[in-house]
Amino acid sequence: MTPIRDETGHAPRDASAHTQTASHSPDVAHRGELVVDHVFHDYLAGGRRTDVLNDVSFRIPAGSVACVVGPSGCGKSTLLGLAAGLLRPSKGTLRWDGAPVKMGPTSHLGMAFQQPGLFPWMTVRQNVAIGLRTRGHSRRDAQATADRFLDTVGLADFKDAYPSQLSGGMAQRVGIARALALKPRLLLLDEPFAAVDAFTRLKLQQEFKTLLRLDRPTVLFVTHDVPEAIALGDSIVVMTQRPATVQRIIPVSRDERDRASPAYARKLAETLECLGVTSDME
Amino acid sequence: MSAPASAFARRIVLPALGVIIAVAVWEATVQGYRLPAIVLPTPDAVVAALVELAGTRAFWRDVGVSLYEFIAGYALGTIAGIAVGALMGESRRFRMMATPVVESLRFIVPFAWIPLTILWFGTSFTGKILLVAYAVFFVMVVSTARAIAHVEPTLSRVGTMLGMGRWRLAWQVHLRAAAPTIASAARAAAAIGWIAVVAAEYIGASAGLGLMITNAATSLATPVVIAGMIVIGVIGAGVSALIGWLSRARLDYR
Repeated sequence: MTPIRDETGHAPRDASAHTQTASHSPDVAHRGELVVDHVFHDYLAGGRRTDVLNDVSFRIPAGSVACVVGPSGCGKSTLLGLAAGLLRPSKGTLRWDGAPVKMGPTSHLGMAFQQPGLFPWMTVRQNVAIGLRTRGHSRRDAQATADRFLDTVGLADFKDAYPSQLSGGMAQRVGIARALALKPRLLLLDEPFAAVDAFTRLKLQQEFKTLLRLDRPTVLFVTHDVPEAIALGDSIVVMTQRPATVQRIIPVSRDERDRASPAYARKLAETLECLGVTSDME
Repeated sequence: MSAPASAFARRIVLPALGVIIAVAVWEATVQGYRLPAIVLPTPDAVVAALVELAGTRAFWRDVGVSLYEFIAGYALGTIAGIAVGALMGESRRFRMMATPVVESLRFIVPFAWIPLTILWFGTSFTGKILLVAYAVFFVMVVSTARAIAHVEPTLSRVGTMLGMGRWRLAWQVHLRAAAPTIASAARAAAAIGWIAVVAAEYIGASAGLGLMITNAATSLATPVVIAGMIVIGVIGAGVSALIGWLSRARLDYR
């Protein structure tokens, strides 16, 4: 259970235009929607309290993709951990399907971690299949699905390899396949293509978009690659330095994703400027 | 030296050389100090005693008894130790409760219990089995708890994300990830357990290798004493190698 702390004395800041406070009861209207509502997070290390997230609010409508960009160490991964129910917010609420995010195992979720976290004692195929097995699929079904997603990420020839035999980028692709194979309604991705070479990354982005069109999950995608955020996101959540809050939410339209278009160039410049990078270098 | 020849040297020649040197030092000591056989017999006298022992039923019965006590106690101690250690690794509350008991008992060496086990169980097998279990248990508890506490946290997060509940996570992820460390502890525990059996038999037993050796010593049959000691050493090394081989065969992933 997520404790909802008293927020008396805290004036709700309108960090996001989308945020709205609804009732906490699960609701058909909120199905597939992820709401981050005035979330704070800090941790204690060596007796010192470090604030990571400082009043973060935004909303991802069902079936849409939000890309989170921001300086490194600004708490992007923490945000994912909170959305996954792996961490508890110190203040504020996250809501999925209209109900507060619960801690512990879930069945709606697929997540790819920055460190892929493959089980070293399992083959690549077993690593992708284990989640499906845990969620009650038959062995045959789990393996067939695993094989299909390994094909998608271009690792068909490595199904029987062990994680220690893979490169960093390959291991990350297995992590992506594992998350996608679950057919999650909520997909959380932590810089999933970071360790992948540039060419493979572009191909994976293409594949990924095609896959998203099939199942239409709600996606929270953390990246430090702004062109990637524009290519994949319906909106871009720009975070500030730590303790982080939402600096701006930039919607991305269809024509702005065309890399050859002036609209794309304008969006890229706009987003980069938001991150403190000016486009005209003199 | 060519590659196959050097592999041969490493695997056969060097170990054999080590044994030969040890035996030569032994032989030289007997010759050099002109020791009587009753103090230290020559290697060939011991080999002769070994051959003679191997022909008797009583010897094999003693080996059987010691091995039986060892295996029963080892199985008991290992299973209980892994179970309690895993609980300590998983549950903070249980760990806080169990730590003072474990930490104070584990420094009481098994041999300190021998008088009590004789008092409680006489010279029966039960006392030895419990003593071995005790010796093995603490090695297993401590290493299992530590190994589970050190499992890569990302693996736990991945398991939870995949939908694993607490028990499934403990069984399928934590215990499996800790398995190589637990296996090497099991190997070390085997040595300690085997030593405990023989030590207990030295002090009070109705059968077993330890008893065989004390009997031989009372009748001043020194070659039999040393032959018995060699048998203990060889069986101990054999058991340890067997467990090492089993854990490699079951747990190795390249």
